[in-house]
Amino acid sequence: MRAIRAIAVNTFREAIRDRILYLFIGFAIVMVISTKLFGMLTVGDEAKIVKDIGLAAMQFFSMLIAVMMSMLLISREVDNRTVFNILAKPVRRWQFVLGKYLGLVAIVAANLLLITLVLVVMVLIYTGQFDPMLVFAAAMTMLEMSVLAAFATLFAVLTRPILGSLMTLAMFVVGHMSADLWMLTRQLPGTFTRAVIATVYYLVPNLERFNFRTEVVHDLPIPPAAVGWAVVYASACVGVLLFLAALRFQTKDLK
Amino acid sequence: MADIQLSVEDLRKTFHPGLFESPIEVLKGLSFDVRRAEIFGFLGPNGAGKTTTIKAITELIYPDSGSISVCGLPHTSLEAKRKIGFMTESPYVYSHLTGREFLRFCAELLGVVRSQQEDRISRVLDDVGMAASGDRKMGAYSKGMLQRVAFGQALLGDPKLLILDEPMSGLDPIGRRDVRDMILRQAAAGVTVFFSSHIIPDVEALCDRVAIVVDGRVRAVGTVRDLVSREADRYEVTFAGVSPEELSTRLLAHHVGSGEAWVRVSSEDRDALIRELADRGARLVSMNPMRATLEDLLMTHSEGVDR
Repeated sequence: MRAIRAIAVNTFREAIRDRILYLFIGFAIVMVISTKLFGMLTVGDEAKIVKDIGLAAMQFFSMLIAVMMSMLLISREVDNRTVFNILAKPVRRWQFVLGKYLGLVAIVAANLLLITLVLVVMVLIYTGQFDPMLVFAAAMTMLEMSVLAAFATLFAVLTRPILGSLMTLAMFVVGHMSADLWMLTRQLPGTFTRAVIATVYYLVPNLERFNFRTEVVHDLPIPPAAVGWAVVYASACVGVLLFLAALRFQTKDLK
Repeated sequence: MADIQLSVEDLRKTFHPGLFESPIEVLKGLSFDVRRAEIFGFLGPNGAGKTTTIKAITELIYPDSGSISVCGLPHTSLEAKRKIGFMTESPYVYSHLTGREFLRFCAELLGVVRSQQEDRISRVLDDVGMAASGDRKMGAYSKGMLQRVAFGQALLGDPKLLILDEPMSGLDPIGRRDVRDMILRQAAAGVTVFFSSHIIPDVEALCDRVAIVVDGRVRAVGTVRDLVSREADRYEVTFAGVSPEELSTRLLAHHVGSGEAWVRVSSEDRDALIRELADRGARLVSMNPMRATLEDLLMTHSEGVDR
């Protein structure tokens, strides 16, 4: 447990000392602050528009941070061979994978916290009241990012950084198109095409399960069961993905 | 068996670079033993399989077959890994950490009791001569300083077996001397040291025993004296009064300059040469036994091997 914690802390420390992270955070905060501009330029309830665009920006930049930092930090550890120092010590390979993952999740969580804080303050300035549902939406985004970071971890041990980043981005895009894929499997005529799309549908997690933006923006009721399922679903996805990542890393020769 | 700190038996490893490239057989049944408290040199040319062997011992790569034990334990066990201190060929460290932070990270991985960590880190920094620079970022360290910190992390867990991959490679003479001194201090403290090198003087100066590895196999193992004396069998003789061309004794080499002749003969021909020189009335100036060096031995074993 100490080894996992040490690897996670070192990963977190490495990320917060990396300028690239601050570039992402800077863009994210500028984007959230500029939602006020979008609110002024758009017809409708300005507060809702600020929340909607703010949450979308939060999700987009968290995704970028999760994908880029995951690839950067895991691949760098292997490519720079600093991993040799770790694995030649009494540390199991799965502990390394889990430690790196937890470090990455901590980075994403810290950034998300910062972006959420900016958004909450923006909405507070705009409406004069604190909206706790923004924190709930951020928590759901964190669940989604934990799944995405697990994908990035898996791809980082499977392939090269650029390809891994692209594959993780693809998972993000396809994961948000789950409903459309399901519709396609019903409507497409060809059996083969339908089978391919159905396979993709079943293999890629449905990331829309974590999207409660509409409910939060429009103050709609949120069924507790949906939240519970989202937590269970994320845990299961993360478990499977990390298991596969550890399995692959376990047999990998580190040259 | 208890006296053996590291045992490697019939280790084989073939790398498969890609679909359209031929497999590369790096280790071809490599075996050797390292005894307690000795300094064991693993000498071989580049590409001989030294680093691959070390990576197999430290479980960074998986051999296709063969067995490795550390202090009588399977090398994959955490208990065995706790007994190893390992330094990589180049110091692979985190440039964002200070030397002290890096050692703290390593101490956590090694499971060093927290209350003892700071004392041990300070002691190690002191041992490797980095006490004054321990709080500087490693990104600003010189190669010699990085090597010292890397050596320090290998010592942090109070290892029984120190494995050093080319520890003096790329260092200036002062850096090499410092690393050599650090190795000798550890050996004096009872730590078994296994180190790979292709720098022969380092091996000759440090090692109790040496394994010569060429093309994925151990070609010879023994003390430096055993290895070189077994194959050292030449004499260099200087004399005056006779030209080497006139001699009937078989000469390995000869040269004439400033009134004296110099010849090299094998030990079997030494007595014949002395007799012939006496018969011909030559004046013997000097006769020096030439023992084969490790370099000669390495060259002999490397002949005919593709590199």
